Amino acid sequence: MSRSITIIGFAVLISAMAGLEFAARRGISRIPSLGQWLGYLMRSRAGRALVLLGWWWLGWHYFAR
Amino acid sequence: MTTEQTPDRWPHGTARPARDTLIVLALAGYAWVASAAAPFSGRALVSVLIPGAALGLIACRRAPERIPAPDRLDVTGFSYWAICVAATLEWEASAFRSGSHRGHPSLTELIDPLIQPHPVRSGAFLLWLLAGWALVRR
Repeated sequence: MSRSITIIGFAVLISAMAGLEFAARRGISRIPSLGQWLGYLMRSRAGRALVLLGWWWLGWHYFAR
Repeated sequence: MTTEQTPDRWPHGTARPARDTLIVLALAGYAWVASAAAPFSGRALVSVLIPGAALGLIACRRAPERIPAPDRLDVTGFSYWAICVAATLEWEASAFRSGSHRGHPSLTELIDPLIQPHPVRSGAFLLWLLAGWALVRR
């Protein structure tokens, strides 16, 4: 039961983010797209380095471990 | 973070489709070979270090034409993203804290079995490479 709840929770959250991206790209709201807010965070050198580090960590986590 | 920006529209066109197709094919080949490496092996580590180093160098030395970042973000619009990201992290942390991998699997424990088949794993690896390229352009 708790396993199902955990999985449903992740599914709901991922679906919500997919919905936000869809809404942002269709321009039907003031919601920024994922690329826009990441781009905003990456305006500074430190933000750019952190976001790229996060991207690399994901690759290491899923493909090297 | 107060004003909205014009959102990206999709699908995007490309100025040089033949070149871009060749690059994606080369990356798909790399992803196919790299994703065959055994987990926790030196080869697996090198296979993610190479794209990381390459994109790091490109970002520092030879940045491609970048997509202009918005000067401002709509606070309300961004807050929806912030809530979702924070909730996902909290959900992941609570699954991790519970200590019961069976009852409360983490996102990693759910995704790992899905990307075990080699074609799926190489597809995911390719997606990761393309996401990295998209980030460098930001």
